[in-house]
Amino acid sequence: MTLAGAREGAMSGIRRAVAAAMARDLSAFVLPGPSVARAMGLDLAGSHLRVVGTPRHANVLILVGPLPDGLRDAAAVTYAQMPRPRAILTLGAGDIAPLPDADVSAPPTRAGLRSGLADLRRVIAAGAFRTDSGEFTAPALEVRVEYTCPMHPEIIRDAPGDCPKCGMTLVPRETASDGHGGHGGHDMPQEDRPSPAEHAHAGQAEDAGGAGAYTCPMHPEVISDAPGKCPKCGMFLVKAEEGESHGHGHRHGHGGHGHGHGSEAHGAHGAHGAHGHGDHGGHGKQQDHSGHDGHDGHDGHAGHGGHSKAAIDGIEPHFMSMVELTEGQPRSSDGLQMDWIEVPFGPFFPGLPAGLRLTLTLDGDTVAGSEARSLVGRAELVDGPQMTAGDFVGRLAAMMPLGPVAYRTLACAAIEEASRADPGQDARRGRAAAVERERIASHLGWLAEFGLQSGFLWLAARARALQLAVQGADIDGIAAQAGAIRALIRRVETAPLMRMRLGRIARIGKDAPASGPVDRARGVGSDARAGDPTLIALGFEMCVREGGDALARLRLRCDEIAQSLDLIAAAGRIAVPEVPDVETVSGEGAATIETPRGAARLRVKLTDGKVVEAELDTPSDVNIALVETVTAQRELGDALAAVASLDLSPWEVRG
Amino acid sequence: MTVQMIFLAFFGGAAVWFGVVVFRTHSMVRSALALLFSQTAIGAMFLVMQAEFLGVLQIMMMATEMSVMAIFMVMFMMDPGGMGKMDMTHQKRLSLWAGGIGLLAALLLVWLPDWSPVALSVPGAHEQAADLGRELLGRSMFIFQSAGLTILTAMIAATMVAIVPNAEQGK
Amino acid sequence: MSILVVLLSLAAGAYALAVIERWAVHGHLSLTGPAWAALALLGRESLLARKSDRLFFELGPVLLLVAGLMAVAVIPLAPGLIITDLATGALFLNAALAYVLVALIMAGWGPNGAYAMIAGWRFLGQFIAYAMLIVMPITAVAMRAESLSTVEIVTSQEQLWNVLYQPMGFILFVVAAMGLAWLPPLDLPDATGELAGGVEAEYTGVRLAVLRLARMVIILALAGATVTFYLGGWLGPWLPPWAWSAIKILAVAAAMLSIGRYMPRIREARYLALSWKLGISLALANIFVVGVIALVVPI
Repeated sequence: MTLAGAREGAMSGIRRAVAAAMARDLSAFVLPGPSVARAMGLDLAGSHLRVVGTPRHANVLILVGPLPDGLRDAAAVTYAQMPRPRAILTLGAGDIAPLPDADVSAPPTRAGLRSGLADLRRVIAAGAFRTDSGEFTAPALEVRVEYTCPMHPEIIRDAPGDCPKCGMTLVPRETASDGHGGHGGHDMPQEDRPSPAEHAHAGQAEDAGGAGAYTCPMHPEVISDAPGKCPKCGMFLVKAEEGESHGHGHRHGHGGHGHGHGSEAHGAHGAHGAHGHGDHGGHGKQQDHSGHDGHDGHDGHAGHGGHSKAAIDGIEPHFMSMVELTEGQPRSSDGLQMDWIEVPFGPFFPGLPAGLRLTLTLDGDTVAGSEARSLVGRAELVDGPQMTAGDFVGRLAAMMPLGPVAYRTLACAAIEEASRADPGQDARRGRAAAVERERIASHLGWLAEFGLQSGFLWLAARARALQLAVQGADIDGIAAQAGAIRALIRRVETAPLMRMRLGRIARIGKDAPASGPVDRARGVGSDARAGDPTLIALGFEMCVREGGDALARLRLRCDEIAQSLDLIAAAGRIAVPEVPDVETVSGEGAATIETPRGAARLRVKLTDGKVVEAELDTPSDVNIALVETVTAQRELGDALAAVASLDLSPWEVRG
Repeated sequence: MTVQMIFLAFFGGAAVWFGVVVFRTHSMVRSALALLFSQTAIGAMFLVMQAEFLGVLQIMMMATEMSVMAIFMVMFMMDPGGMGKMDMTHQKRLSLWAGGIGLLAALLLVWLPDWSPVALSVPGAHEQAADLGRELLGRSMFIFQSAGLTILTAMIAATMVAIVPNAEQGK
Repeated sequence: MSILVVLLSLAAGAYALAVIERWAVHGHLSLTGPAWAALALLGRESLLARKSDRLFFELGPVLLLVAGLMAVAVIPLAPGLIITDLATGALFLNAALAYVLVALIMAGWGPNGAYAMIAGWRFLGQFIAYAMLIVMPITAVAMRAESLSTVEIVTSQEQLWNVLYQPMGFILFVVAAMGLAWLPPLDLPDATGELAGGVEAEYTGVRLAVLRLARMVIILALAGATVTFYLGGWLGPWLPPWAWSAIKILAVAAAMLSIGRYMPRIREARYLALSWKLGISLALANIFVVGVIALVVPI
């Protein structure tokens, strides 16, 4: 047995002991995230392994379910960030390129997890060290050298040459192969192999020279033939292409690369890299908005620069003036001038929904701007010209790993509506109870994620255990857990520091569009269940909380868990809907279901018993737009808590 | 005595060397921390000279002060993260003069006054701490209390001045 | 000799604490777990981020460990069992632990990662919150003992432990100590859910092992300080002094480690507001009350 990610070295005596220790002490980083694993009923944290929050501390990468296309690059970067020896365990994942082949594969079941981990331990103990361990490469990690003109950054060529505009020699700079930022050698151990990126770097340093090769990082208008100091601010001049290249590295780099959470290292690079070069590229916001115009701004600044500085008595004209350096830079709400950095969070960030990529522009530790994007957004519902009802229902449920029962029910209801079929009262009650069961599990899952994010570990562990117990439980199973769940809710309500943590965070006004618990936690709101006669007959009444902040949302979810327990008890049976038999019916129908995250509406068109058209509106589509509002001008920790309080499912977002 | 002298010289040299690093490095944070270690070395010199309380106090206070300074430098100078090759020397002519005069003053202070003979034995550390307390709460009480009050006033005033009156903040 | 004994007991204590931490955080009670974990950690690659400030990156964990060891040096485990009984022991403890801040800033800045950097600077905010609340309760303790020597502080409590003599100071000190050791709910520098490991995020392999060891030493030093200042150090009936020290220190450390499980994290700004508005007022009141009692009632 060999391990693809073995560490270099012969399996000597001590190494054998170390390998045995590694096999015992598994630290796992889970893709797409522990929440997805739990939704599939897998209890990772209860399997004698540690689930860690950063790939740097992991020695096993566990992939749960198929790897969505949008996460492949990020997964590659995450894997590259893990220190060797590193292993991959897949649970029900098919093709995981660009990752290397899984060391152990197992079906995504509890038994599969058990046997998979046992195999994994054997593999690690036997093959943690290898003399011929290869290097992991993936397109997302490759660094390419491209050539650009120092004066005309829009000129980018693959080969050296002269600038078509000004005739200057093009200078090399490193970049990632497909729009990803330069993050070459991060995962390279420092001892062996120097990274390709560093080679590029070195090469670049040598072939400087020529006219105007040196420039000031702060004052691009200062250009000099020889190294020296900037006459304006006294900083050392840098080679022109160096300044340029890093400005770019930042801009491209941080726009879009998918590396997860891995991004510490890369983000880092972006973060300080930008910092680093003092180039105004560092100030992410401005860069975003004005791109190269930033330089024009400096020209203006240069215009009045020069002599006016001497105006302050006792200070030499060349003294670096903060007033001048920060002129035209964006200012924070408190009027302080600070460096702005752009930091990527996700798609595998612990404490944020898996698959969500949140890019925060930080001003100190205050969020000056944010952008949320789903990397696992849903594709077209109807795959091909037409689908059978069964395929359609299965596809929709599989697309939503965090709420498969609700979406299955939705699909069945819409198809029944289109085919004018009536499942009968009993079936309706059973379905309603199945959706309520999923609501309990989903809200408990949210509590577990919140507990993890805010360091409330008791809550995380308890909610996780209860979520796993509730999932797939029958009516007696739910009744058996009801007491424990209610006790948990009481405990959450009375936990200390809760108000301090969540109160007045992520407040949402009554007129902003919102869906689900986010909507109902602000005093008004709607619930699709309020119009469902089956649920009304079971005693449903809409839960509402005042406040509109993260605390109100937490409490509302607790209320809903308690209510769902009552509804399930009243329904008396739980039944996940069967695919309706539609034969060759044609017609159109729509259904709305209150999923755990809010109302989802599906409209389908049947032709001869086949689904030909479908249209879905999901709650996360609505709520993801709130991210910008709830994070604006918040401290980083509060901003993350705010995003988490929305309980987004990136899978629901339109891709 | 000689061992003491060797250590004193060592820490003295370290203090000077870290002082030089403050200006030779190109990173704000390194510069601030070099200053911290320079001050720590001075604290160690106090310890070598058996001024225990003073030495420990110096070592403690400087850690926090220099860290606070570091964050302010990074925040406001937009330190190019240590990689901006920022020059730590400014106003060269003025600093040369100031440094030269300072050196001269220090040398004069060393050579001119009539320093009393080297104390061969110092009071024990317990006694020193007690003496220091009596001094602070006795003869020098007024000076220290007024200095403390002045610093407090200055801090509050500086904070007040720094806060931009902002209509939005009032809400 | 006593240095060796103290260091050995420190190693044993750190191991015991690691067992307790795994139990508190991960829910498994395993006596051999930390040993396997340490061995596994030593076998992993020790990566260096590409544009790191190498000096700070390497020095951060080491300085943290040194600061913790320095603090341990003035904690008496039994009469005569102390590395160095300084006349200014209580102040020296502070001085040593002040470098925890410096070390974390270095470790946060070094790897050139945004998460680590934010975590390091956040700890500075947290420091401003806890710093006064470490020093002011110690002042009241030293007032009673009429000495800064940790040994004398312990012997001053023979009649009545300080936890009963000045309960307010005890509470303030423990809360501040948890801030200093960045224990949950004040674990901003390594908040997993917020900064994915924060200061620790870029450390792997041996360097991470040093960082974790240093953390354990610091927690032990603070538990030791709490025991020395408030729980009568080695004092206690029946058992030998060293056993009392061991029991008390481990119990305090276990309590400090597990209490954070039951509440969400507080961010530094709120901790700061609480510490300064409420904490410092209480600490001043504590000093005043202790002063009055010390003058009026001779215990």
